[in-house]
Amino acid sequence: MSDLDKSIAQLRACRPIPETQVRELCYKARELLIEEGNVVCVDAPVTICGDIHGQFHDLMELFRVGGDVPETCYLFMGDFVDRGFYSLESFLLLLCLKVRYPDRITLIRGNHESRQITTVYGFYDECLRKYGSANVWRYCCEVFDYLALGALIIGATTELTPTDAPIIDTNTQAPNPVDHSDLEIEILNSSGHIINRFARPPESSSNSQDLSQLSNAPSSPSQGQTPTRNGNPGTGATSSSGGSSGNSTGAVLCVHGGLSPLVDSIDKIRLLDRKQEVPHEGAMCDLLWSDPDEIEGWGLSPRGAGFLFGADIVKCFNQKNDLSLICRAHQLVMEGFKEMFDNTIVTVWSAPNYCYRCGNVAAILELGEDGSNAGYAPRTNGDVGRVAAMAGGGPLAEQRQEQRMGPGRRYRVFEAAPQDSRGMPAKKPVADYFL
Amino acid sequence: MNLPLISSMNPIMSTYPTPSNPSSGVQTFTTPNKTWQISTRKLPILKAGPIEALNTRIGIPIPEMIFGDNYVRLTHVPSGWTLDFNAADALDRVSKTEEGMLQVAVAEEWKETRKGQQEGIEGVVKKFDWSYSTDYRGTTTTAAAAEGKPGEEGWKDTTAELSPIRTDLLSRPDPILFFDSVDLYEDELADNGIALLAVKVRVMPERLLILSRFFLRLDGVVVRLRDTRVYVEHATNRVVRQYTAKEEGYEVLQEKLRRTGVAGVAEALRDANVVGPLLRIVEEGTDVFEVG
Repeated sequence: MSDLDKSIAQLRACRPIPETQVRELCYKARELLIEEGNVVCVDAPVTICGDIHGQFHDLMELFRVGGDVPETCYLFMGDFVDRGFYSLESFLLLLCLKVRYPDRITLIRGNHESRQITTVYGFYDECLRKYGSANVWRYCCEVFDYLALGALIIGATTELTPTDAPIIDTNTQAPNPVDHSDLEIEILNSSGHIINRFARPPESSSNSQDLSQLSNAPSSPSQGQTPTRNGNPGTGATSSSGGSSGNSTGAVLCVHGGLSPLVDSIDKIRLLDRKQEVPHEGAMCDLLWSDPDEIEGWGLSPRGAGFLFGADIVKCFNQKNDLSLICRAHQLVMEGFKEMFDNTIVTVWSAPNYCYRCGNVAAILELGEDGSNAGYAPRTNGDVGRVAAMAGGGPLAEQRQEQRMGPGRRYRVFEAAPQDSRGMPAKKPVADYFL
Repeated sequence: MNLPLISSMNPIMSTYPTPSNPSSGVQTFTTPNKTWQISTRKLPILKAGPIEALNTRIGIPIPEMIFGDNYVRLTHVPSGWTLDFNAADALDRVSKTEEGMLQVAVAEEWKETRKGQQEGIEGVVKKFDWSYSTDYRGTTTTAAAAEGKPGEEGWKDTTAELSPIRTDLLSRPDPILFFDSVDLYEDELADNGIALLAVKVRVMPERLLILSRFFLRLDGVVVRLRDTRVYVEHATNRVVRQYTAKEEGYEVLQEKLRRTGVAGVAEALRDANVVGPLLRIVEEGTDVFEVG
């Protein structure tokens, strides 16, 4: 058993590893991360995870539900540390797995992977408490500076193979009956039982209407600006070397927070100098901090710092960059995930019972591989082409084609690990003589 | 972590059951003389649908952790009079305009560097007091009057001298027959600090105390505390309510903490009990309700 495997075993038991091993681990991790671009390319299949926030036992539950590394390929969208009681063990375990299986796990940076934020929200104090000095915190912060800012998932299939599992007995409503050939979304519980299923909406859905409205919006790109792309999505290439992803969905961009008004293409993210503390402003800051909101265009947060972006911004960005979906984390959602803006952006949240008291569920998102090169589109008996033909190749049809079909999405929803396995403070408050 | 997501209804979300059973999460305790009753309710944060409904009702974005089903309720059993503490009514008293709107510490720096880059960016969306500072003192419902409509009628202004909260009696180690601590809302202010409204209650054999505390720490800017204390002697029909609003500039407070010789200033700033005595009182008042 290698030293690294020993460290992994020790961390899996939620026991910190010695400081010297942390130093070595962080050194190796930096060597590895420095080779990664600002936007890491990841091939489907992959399981996408949101905020963890030091909830170690819930991270173990996540691996139980989603499968272990290296059997399952993971992408974590940042905020590994702070808030929870086991930031150290959680982050170091993920880092060990990264070093041990670099191609099976991708870590990107969240706004909490920062010196300033970790000194306020717990990670710094935790390191001090567990090691008696700030050295380990310092090593970890150096790793933070090397984490990628985003990831681009290539080759995800539009098709979702239905899970052969029982449908749970909900007393509210039966899951939507879905013709298995056009399954778009499947929601499973932690036992793998089906909570619900959603079919892909028919072609003449509100999507195209939304897009026609979009074309009237001043912020949308002028028509014909975006040529038909055959290259790998998100690369900006327009060559015909589409490869096996040619018939699949567009690429999926993963970032912690969201978009930036300074970034209109993925290539602009690639050009940033990321190896630094998260700045208070600029594109790098926005990618880690911004939020989607029900507004038009860009908005400023009432707090005086931070951007909000609306549906039109997401749709334009996706179209320009040949994306079918943006995955982000950063915001607590009671249901574990939340799709917005006609399913063009999703928030994934992976910290169940956040801060040990919110009572929310968590989710992870599985994207399948387009192995068969036979995604949903070719199986619709030419529906897509037919719409285009009927519209006489007009602007609407062009835009419809440019709106990439979203990947098939399987959400696994899970609850917090059982209380007794984590040695947490009891749920019942301790009576005190407050005045 | 950041502001909660509020968006159009997503069909996916409707598959989760909502806590519709009104008795779930409820704990009730009646004083030995059967005159006063305390009920508390603790449930998870609201789901997307109820958050949106609340957002529509209140008219401001809802804090990221919204315990909208939670409450602490004091009931005068003979008359049915109640004093409630709940998140919705507390949020309704948050400024819905830019009045009193704070700015985060890095706001100036942020704006400076954004100059010239914000063409087409309309400006601040949804101006409101995003620190969620509330002067909420509970929701009073008089069963007899106005078909049980809540209102402040019946509360009589007084002074702490005339109607004191007897801290001497509350400091006695009497057995605590009932205790609970109930969060109403919390927001991490996009990692610029914390805003937290929580209510504690303890019932002793002869008296009870409720403390509704709003705590705000906006890093580098301000620390704020707004306490509402409710005090009842079980043998009486009188409710004493005391409101105290305190605050202090962040740097002034840091300096005060350093002078007191607190070991960890950063840690102390996170503890309302530690910073409380060091804050300036900006508003205080006492009123009483004679029930029945």
